[in-house]
Amino acid sequence: MKQFGKILKFELKGFLRNKVFVGFTIFLMVAIAIVMFIPNIIAAFESDDGVDTPPDELPTMLIYSEDETIAALVKEYFKNAFVDYEINIAEGSIDELKNDIITGKAECAFVMNSASSYTYYVNNLSMYDMNTEIANTVLQEVYRINEMIKNNIPPEKASEIMSVQIESGTETLGKNQMQNFFYTYIMIFALYMVILLYGQMVATNVATEKSSRAMEVLITSANPTSMMFGKVLASCIAGFSQLVLIFGTAIVLYNVNKDALTNPLIASIFDIPLELFAYLIVFFILGFLIYAFMFGAIGSTASKLEDINTSVMPITFLFIIAFMVVMFSMSNGTVDNTAMLICSYIPFTSPMAMFTRICMSTVPWYEIVSSIAILIGSTVGIGILSAKIYRVGVLLYGTPPKIGTILKTVLKKQ
Amino acid sequence: MILELKNIDKSFGEKEVLKGVSFVAEGGKAFGLLGRNGAGKTTSIRILMNVFPADRGEVLVDGTPIDYSKIGIGYLPEERGLYPKKLIIDQLVYFAELKGMSARDAVRSVDYWLGRLGMSEYRNKRLDTLSKGNQQKIQLITALAHDPDIVILDEPFSGLDPVNAMLLKDVVKEQIAKGKIVLFSSHQMSYIEEFCDSIAIITAGKVAISGDLHDIKRNYLRDKLVVSTTNPERIKADLGKSCTQRDDGTLLIQLADPNEKQAMMKRLVESYDIDEVKVFEPSLNDIFVEYAGAQV
Repeated sequence: MKQFGKILKFELKGFLRNKVFVGFTIFLMVAIAIVMFIPNIIAAFESDDGVDTPPDELPTMLIYSEDETIAALVKEYFKNAFVDYEINIAEGSIDELKNDIITGKAECAFVMNSASSYTYYVNNLSMYDMNTEIANTVLQEVYRINEMIKNNIPPEKASEIMSVQIESGTETLGKNQMQNFFYTYIMIFALYMVILLYGQMVATNVATEKSSRAMEVLITSANPTSMMFGKVLASCIAGFSQLVLIFGTAIVLYNVNKDALTNPLIASIFDIPLELFAYLIVFFILGFLIYAFMFGAIGSTASKLEDINTSVMPITFLFIIAFMVVMFSMSNGTVDNTAMLICSYIPFTSPMAMFTRICMSTVPWYEIVSSIAILIGSTVGIGILSAKIYRVGVLLYGTPPKIGTILKTVLKKQ
Repeated sequence: MILELKNIDKSFGEKEVLKGVSFVAEGGKAFGLLGRNGAGKTTSIRILMNVFPADRGEVLVDGTPIDYSKIGIGYLPEERGLYPKKLIIDQLVYFAELKGMSARDAVRSVDYWLGRLGMSEYRNKRLDTLSKGNQQKIQLITALAHDPDIVILDEPFSGLDPVNAMLLKDVVKEQIAKGKIVLFSSHQMSYIEEFCDSIAIITAGKVAISGDLHDIKRNYLRDKLVVSTTNPERIKADLGKSCTQRDDGTLLIQLADPNEKQAMMKRLVESYDIDEVKVFEPSLNDIFVEYAGAQV
């Protein structure tokens, strides 16, 4: 136990002395601070100007039609629909109109073949160009109103029919996925990044000790179990403090700048219920430990640093698959699908899967408890097993042995 | 203090590495553990240090099973290496602490040893900024700083220049004088011969011979004569196959029976111009080659 404390201290000191680790943490904190202060900074500049700067000149949209009445009608309706454009009726031929678009005099043009048929001209069609969709809706409406008028419905009545408003309200009894999507996404992503990053670090750390042969002295000085647990816990503490510092900065600065940060998206990110934080901590620590133990065990079987990347691949894949399942289900809005249900009980996937379900759905308490219980049990089991693999692995040099062979050796010993 | 390994067996999978290894090392004396590469020396040392347990047999100190919480062991492994990127003082103190020292004692002891080995100026440097020989001196501190009862040195002299080798010899003598058990493992026989009172030669997982080095030499079959002469060619011609010339020009005469010794000496002195004739005393090297080389 005394040794464990010393190892923990030594490893933690290693993180604090690591310039990349410290630098990266500070960099992220500063970046977050800048982002959080941007609205205030912009506001400061704007108030200096006193008057609002006039809006830039609007881009031009041309309307062309052989039939002047159609052209006038379309222009009238488009004026209301496309407020970001200056709508003009094209004078001249279609070729001139195309030329105007190519030279940049106009941004786009609608050439009306009839009241319900048109060709849209644009120089470069943007991925986000919604103009045809808007035009379709508007033209459809115009067409319907005209047809209604033709069928003796008074124009006022026709417009009224077309513009009927549906009143609605939503009351969420469980979780509102629209609101908690972003913070769940961010937390899952943080979990993913931290576990992979630190897991790799643990593996590299062990392999470095082995390849530099410091292990020869270490293994004769300290108990392998203390070494494994000391290393893994030190990286867990380091990773956790990094998260706390980064998220802490974000939360504190958000509250400082709350009045300026009016964007509802940002507000939804920071509107995290406290109990979720508690779950985040539980799943973070357990998920981190179970993966770090596996990474450490794998690291101990590699004799050269170059071997690490291939050795850890199965674990990385396992983790990425878990991440993909969760991300796919989240973006689908079906966080309670069968894959997620299964994943919330498998210890390697449950930290992400169960946490997502808790965030975005309503999960009965006994499911949460059993998932966490399985996770705790497996973490302890994997911890003990990995310490045993470590004890055998660190003394093996040469080609990394197959996991099966190692497990056989370890289990036979018992 | 007497350290005893008794009938140690150890297998890794199908491979039997140690087959009933036993030897005894005494406090205040140096013990040489010899053997060819892969004979089982490192495995014996690791069992002695409790890195892994023996399949059978025991490690005894003064007749009772060794208590690792009471008996301190210092180890200089053959495969050298510490943390290349960490400060020397940090890692030395860490290793001493792992061996059970308090932080304060560890710093004091490490500073003493840095001074003793003339390495104080490197105290706050990174290990990888040092030359190989100096790194080896730093590593020696990890084996000595916690004032262990048993000091195990695996190839301690390899890579050291003559001045540093002298310094190390002094340190080793000092440790022996303090009554510690110093266990050497080396292929440099001259050093073993210089320090060790007793030895064990391990061959293919078994102890081929062990005990007091003087006794071993004395018990060596005294059936060879070393002859210095001015006309070796004549003797060689007369004695034929039983006479060979050694690298230093002397002749080595193999007797058919040790009892012929007296007769052969007389014959040599009377018949030839002889400067010196004596019974061949084997060097440790000869003994090693004979016992360890038999299992090629």
